[in-house]
Amino acid sequence: MDNLYLFAILAGTRVAVEAGEVEAVVRLTDISPVPGMGAHVAGLSALRSRVLTIVDVAAIVHGRPLPPEQRGLAVIADISGHSYGLMLDSVSDICRVPEGELPLRGQLDPAWALYARAVVEYDGHPWLLVSLASFIEGASAAQAA
Amino acid sequence: MDELLQEFISETQETLEALAGEVIAWEADPSDRDRLDAIFRFFHTVKGSCGFLNLPRFERLSHAAEDVLADIRAGERQANPATVSAVLGLMDRIGELTEAVAMGAALPNENDDYLIAALNAPAESPAGGDGHAPAVTAAPVAVARQGGVHAGPRTIRLPLSLIDQLMNGVSDMVLARNELSRKLRERSADPELDNVFERLSTCVADMRDVISKTRMQRVDRLFAAIPRMVRDLGRELGKRIDLTLEGGDVEMDREMVEMVVDPLTHIVRNSIDHGIETPERRVAAGKPEAGRLRVEARQSGNQIVIAISDDGAGIDTARLVEKAMAGGRLTPDAAARMTEQDKLDLIFQAGLSTAQQVTAVSGRGVGMDVVRANVERIGGVIALENQPGQGLSITLRVPLTLTIIPGLIVRAGGQHFAIPRAAVVEILHDNNDMLKISEVAGAKIATIRAVRHSMIDLEDVLSMDKPAQPGPRAIMVMRSATGVPFALGVAAVDNHEELVIRPASPLVMASGVYAGMTLPDNGRPMLLLDAAGLANAARLPTIVDDQAARQQEEQADAATSVEMVAALRFEEISGERRLLKLSLIERVEDIDASRFGRSGSHAFVRLDGRLVPVVNGRAEFDKDRICALRLRDDQREACYPVAAVLDIVQMPLVPDMVAMHGVLSGVSVIEGEHLEVLNPFALFAALPEERVAERQRGRCLLVDSEDGWTREILAPLLRQAGHEVMLGLPSEAAVDARDVILCSGTDAAQVAEIIGCRVVQLRASPRAAGPQDGSIYRYDQDALMAAIGGRQG
Repeated sequence: MDNLYLFAILAGTRVAVEAGEVEAVVRLTDISPVPGMGAHVAGLSALRSRVLTIVDVAAIVHGRPLPPEQRGLAVIADISGHSYGLMLDSVSDICRVPEGELPLRGQLDPAWALYARAVVEYDGHPWLLVSLASFIEGASAAQAA
Repeated sequence: MDELLQEFISETQETLEALAGEVIAWEADPSDRDRLDAIFRFFHTVKGSCGFLNLPRFERLSHAAEDVLADIRAGERQANPATVSAVLGLMDRIGELTEAVAMGAALPNENDDYLIAALNAPAESPAGGDGHAPAVTAAPVAVARQGGVHAGPRTIRLPLSLIDQLMNGVSDMVLARNELSRKLRERSADPELDNVFERLSTCVADMRDVISKTRMQRVDRLFAAIPRMVRDLGRELGKRIDLTLEGGDVEMDREMVEMVVDPLTHIVRNSIDHGIETPERRVAAGKPEAGRLRVEARQSGNQIVIAISDDGAGIDTARLVEKAMAGGRLTPDAAARMTEQDKLDLIFQAGLSTAQQVTAVSGRGVGMDVVRANVERIGGVIALENQPGQGLSITLRVPLTLTIIPGLIVRAGGQHFAIPRAAVVEILHDNNDMLKISEVAGAKIATIRAVRHSMIDLEDVLSMDKPAQPGPRAIMVMRSATGVPFALGVAAVDNHEELVIRPASPLVMASGVYAGMTLPDNGRPMLLLDAAGLANAARLPTIVDDQAARQQEEQADAATSVEMVAALRFEEISGERRLLKLSLIERVEDIDASRFGRSGSHAFVRLDGRLVPVVNGRAEFDKDRICALRLRDDQREACYPVAAVLDIVQMPLVPDMVAMHGVLSGVSVIEGEHLEVLNPFALFAALPEERVAERQRGRCLLVDSEDGWTREILAPLLRQAGHEVMLGLPSEAAVDARDVILCSGTDAAQVAEIIGCRVVQLRASPRAAGPQDGSIYRYDQDALMAAIGGRQG
């Protein structure tokens, strides 16, 4: 592990994502909705010839979809053979943190419990280390329920 | 074994080719360890494989080479040119032998000992002179190899991910091409640029075709597991089965192979478990002791047909009906009216099985309904042919590739969706008089020609807004996996396209109503709807509405027939507005003006390779594309060019004012406008007596096929006039007596006279050569046409 992280605001929370999990961060232009789906699937978007399933992380975590005017950035990840775009509020930085991940301290919001693994200290703040795949799993679980 | 051998051969040939250069480089620098290792590995591999494949000569050769090379690797001896030559000689001999094995020829009968001795010779006398002998031997061998390049197709193994990447790359390319094409259209036309772009387009299209071929896989893979399964099952159930597999070399998309494995396995299991009887019962029934099971695959157009047939007991439809009645799915009354086919279709009902008891093999509730659902999900069709007591034959028809399917683009809630064409039975507008939509307690029922269907609106199923729209909505009758067709309402059916389907992510698939997605040229992803999924999502009832009851209803309905019929309002080319009964119109189509032609007093148009008479006798137009109505009575079809199609209106069955006159039957007042109503009887009555059949007119055979004038000027002229033109005399097919031969030389004319068909001789000079000259001046179009037309009689 090279301790390279993407720091971003996801569903209103500071999060860190291992760079290895991130394929790219893109600005979404056009999202075609997928009717008949819960709010967690924002729609489909084409990235060149690939079709991304755009996932609304805020809806998965808090159950509150991201307002359309805030839709813009998404982090692209390949999760079990399918391309997903997870919508971000904003991106701060991509940077190496030599200390790496630190164990969680404090009482974590239960909404995040499923997705957070650890904490990464960066820029004087703790950032929640999350795994992108866990959001997709979380979304599938929510769907099944 | 053959496959292993084939693989060994292609592998060896490839490595040999790659290594030839290595050996030379190694000779130049004997200390190059990497090259030495590569060569050593080659011999080692060959030795290993041929021991297994029982190729002793290969083994002996490679073993000798390996020994020497191992010594060199261990530093026990030095490589010198003689050694290299000897190694090369061995490699060439191996190549030669490989070639022979590949072609199935007898192995060349040279003595290998000499080569092997040469390999070891330098060790004793390292003088360079000895090296010549093997070099000489090697030379002819090398020639022999070159001569055999064409032996067998050569293959390489690639990781699938690489092919997928390549596919994606090509898709990207197609998208970029489309965008470029859009951009180019916006700019002013530049023929040079257009030409280059055309070429690029062709290249991209070719590439896409080739790449899609890489996805193909032999059906063999599908069949691979069957023999074992049949053997194991047969043993378990105490049945004897003769299995025949055929058509393993048919190729289909590898994803499709994956999708067909489960249904096929299920059908084969069913067949052994329920179909084929035990030997005792078979003997009692007068059948051979061993049951016959036959699985065959073949390609039919763009479909793969997989037929599974057995000579077992077939399906006991009486039992099916009994079961369905016991399950409360069928009333005895309805059952009594069912046809044999209706009864047979009951097997596709969920939870129905003819199995007397649940066995370990099948009958566990996963039945034919699931098989059908799986087959239909990939755009396939399943058909049964039942011969009670004699056997059952199940035919699966699946598209050649999963990735490209014909689909309809529909609009609903302001969004576009794709639906597999195969799932749609028919499309109607909701103002069609054959359709009646009624609603009770939220349930919508669409009655189409007296058949009642559950109806759902796509917007409701997907919980979308349903904005009011000016035009009529489209109602599609969908075939669903449960066997009960249902009606699906959408805002409009926009288009019919070949769609490249890709799998949707599991998140999207979990909704159950989508089967995949596609990326059309506009770059906005579109979802592919799953007909069965929609029916499930809407929780449509799956109770069989029996056909016979419907038919009775239909007759009752017909008695109280409505006064109004749908009619198409259109504008004639001459400007009048007229009405024509809609049911006569098969469709409306834009046709190239060049397809219209005239023969004698009859006008006709070339459509789909046939000649179709033009009703109003028009053949010349001032536009490039003509809007035309295609009409059909029960057997003949006709084309009716019009200036414009206006709309569909309801008109009284009997015109307001009956005035039989020519093709008109009267005048009706629609929305305050007086419109002439066409008389369909008169339209069809006015058609030429026989159908304009191309073969009856005979072909025009152009003898001077090499001549530029014939090719570039005469042939297009004749084609335009609607003749079938053939360049040169037909080589295989006999010349038909109705054919007309056109030529310029007298000798050809004589030949044609002998063959016995009519000849039109053309001459380049406007004046006839003499009174005996029956030829026609080649630019005298009228005379030419008359000659061709007249002589055909």
